[in-house]
Amino acid sequence: MRGPGTDTIMRTDTIMRTKDLSVGYNKKTVLSLIDLVFENGKFISLLGPNGAGKTTLLRTMSRLLPPCDGSVLIDQISLNEFKQDSLARILSVVLTDRVSPGLFSVFEFVALGRYPHTGLMGRLKKSDEEVIISSLAQVNAGDLVFRQVGTLSDGERQKVLLARALTQEPRLILLDEPTIHLDLKHRMEVISILQKLCREKGITVVASMHDVDIAAKISDSVVLIKNGRIAAWGPPEETLDNRSVAALYDFEGASFNPGLGSIEIKADGGRGSVFVAGGMARGAALYRLLAKRGLSIATGIIHDNDLDCYVAKSLGAECITLPPMEKIGQNKLNEALPLIKQADYTVDSGFPLGEFNRMNAELIKYALTYGKPVFTLRKAEDAWRFLQTDSENMIVCENEIMLLNKMDGYQK
Amino acid sequence: MKKYQIEKILTVQSKRRFLLFALFAALLLISAAVNIMAGTIDISFPELFKIIHTYDTATTSGFIVWKIRIPRTIAAVLGGAYLAVSGLLLQVFFRNPIVGPFILGISSGATLMVSLVMLTTLSLGFTAIAPFLTTLSALAGAYAAMIVVLFIAAKVKNMITLLIAGLMMGYLCHAVTSILAAFAEQEKLKMFVLWQLGSFSGFKWNEIQILFIFGGMILVLVYTLSKPLNAFLLGEAYASTMGVNIRLFRFFIIFCSCALAGMVTAAAGPVAFIGLAVPHMARLSFVTSDNRILIPGTLLLGAIITGVCDLVARLAFSPVEVPISSITAFFGAPIVISLLIKRRVSV
Repeated sequence: MRGPGTDTIMRTDTIMRTKDLSVGYNKKTVLSLIDLVFENGKFISLLGPNGAGKTTLLRTMSRLLPPCDGSVLIDQISLNEFKQDSLARILSVVLTDRVSPGLFSVFEFVALGRYPHTGLMGRLKKSDEEVIISSLAQVNAGDLVFRQVGTLSDGERQKVLLARALTQEPRLILLDEPTIHLDLKHRMEVISILQKLCREKGITVVASMHDVDIAAKISDSVVLIKNGRIAAWGPPEETLDNRSVAALYDFEGASFNPGLGSIEIKADGGRGSVFVAGGMARGAALYRLLAKRGLSIATGIIHDNDLDCYVAKSLGAECITLPPMEKIGQNKLNEALPLIKQADYTVDSGFPLGEFNRMNAELIKYALTYGKPVFTLRKAEDAWRFLQTDSENMIVCENEIMLLNKMDGYQK
Repeated sequence: MKKYQIEKILTVQSKRRFLLFALFAALLLISAAVNIMAGTIDISFPELFKIIHTYDTATTSGFIVWKIRIPRTIAAVLGGAYLAVSGLLLQVFFRNPIVGPFILGISSGATLMVSLVMLTTLSLGFTAIAPFLTTLSALAGAYAAMIVVLFIAAKVKNMITLLIAGLMMGYLCHAVTSILAAFAEQEKLKMFVLWQLGSFSGFKWNEIQILFIFGGMILVLVYTLSKPLNAFLLGEAYASTMGVNIRLFRFFIIFCSCALAGMVTAAAGPVAFIGLAVPHMARLSFVTSDNRILIPGTLLLGAIITGVCDLVARLAFSPVEVPISSITAFFGAPIVISLLIKRRVSV
């Protein structure tokens, strides 16, 4: 057992680092000046557009490719100096290479991972069998033991590949796009297994990922790769914001919001414009729906800390906002009115009315006086009580779908 | 699944495999015995037992058994075993289920080199090493063909393309052989044609000794390679990260598979389909791709099937003997076609 003192040292220890590393195929460099430090027991995600060199970097770090320049160090020792089997006891991989292993049961397949631990003929000892069984249990694949590998689904196969990597008993696992081609259930399962390996077994996980939002939520550290360089590197909380993510993937029609931890697809506004009277988190889903329909959005009057504010901004909406806990005043109303005038439609999200946002009811009334159609998600009697008007421009919609239908109908 | 359940299933599995090995070994002994007993002159089992027991070479039956039937049977059994193992190695190496020494043109390369020796006057002055000359030239031809195929395989990854490349190699070698044959002397041509038809007849004891000793050494080497062979099934990248020294491994596989195929071709002529079809039959019988099981399994099955094919070649149209390749093709070609149709085949 390690004492508490050594434990702290272990925690700050780096398992792998790269020094002035350049990677590529056949002397053709795709990524250079890589100086990264991976600490024991951390989850590191490599992010970047396709072709940025994530796979090349992973293959170089697992010694499948020689570096073009610089070096990769494990425990301060250059990768070149490791004997093949001693490296295999430290590092294992899960690749995207298609594996067609033939007639192997899952047990036999996972047992192949014991390679660096067994003798000349690969005979399995009791202890080896225990490692195999516990590896399968760790990836929730205990019930697959005697299935044929060829009959597994993509998700099951990925878990079995992960179990094979685990039976090498590595301290570091490198994974290339571990969740690609998986259904949602298995994607989440694989991610949570990887996270567990990190947290509970102290295994360092380095994975190239295509989902920025998932990477942001699970990684201790992210590496952003773009244009043959490491664009940024560090904890996702510091590294990932709308600007860095947009630059990484050359986003135009979408944006990343660290607060929401998700990517929103911006509205292109090709099908008209709409003003949404929102707030109190009633607008968020509605904004996405309208943006999906191709409507450009303006919204108000909402507080800065409202969920609606985050989502609306991510969608590229024009927002009339004010600081949290402040009462909406006449000045904000005056700011919002021109937006209502410009918009083709006004939508009342059905926000609950309180002391601070009473002014938003005025927005709707103004819209009606401008002769704009107002689609409301309130019940008819609520709408009447709320606005004290029975204008025929007031269109009551039971739900969001009906709202869209009625908007389409109105256009004609 | 509980641990004790897993252990129980594993024990049942290994018992089943052991029984299958015992069955194959018994079949091999029976087929060998039938091979020795059956022929234009049938020899009964008690008679055979007596001949072997007393080492009787004086009587006609004794002569037939010791000088003709036993060498031929051993040659067929060894030849079949070597070709089958060679095929297994190539299938793992190329991770392609429809390759074998014959299909890849290795046998054709060997044939071409043998024809150079047998049909031309190149062998003049080498009479001292004449018995080995055929073997050596066959090995040289096998390795040369393999190098060309490896070069093509490095360029194309598609398994059908590799197959076609191998067939083209075969045609080219055959074309050169035909040209040589057209210019050859009648006497030499006759010898060559007989050899080229492929047969395990006429083996001498010293030839069998060579086949047994060198082939046996290579088989031992092959068996010790079964662990990296298994790792290699996952592809080069995984094998490498599991601790396989890829370069060394590649060298050994090519060395062993060509040596085995070349050795048999030199002695018996080109024999088709054994190297291709037998590994699949072993996989299906043992329901595994584990080479620690498949190598001995393929070896036994290759021996049994080639023994039986040789028996059929000898007796089906007796007294006329047909080339062994015509018999092996009858069971091998349908297997290849079904593999191609199914497509979902594995190594």
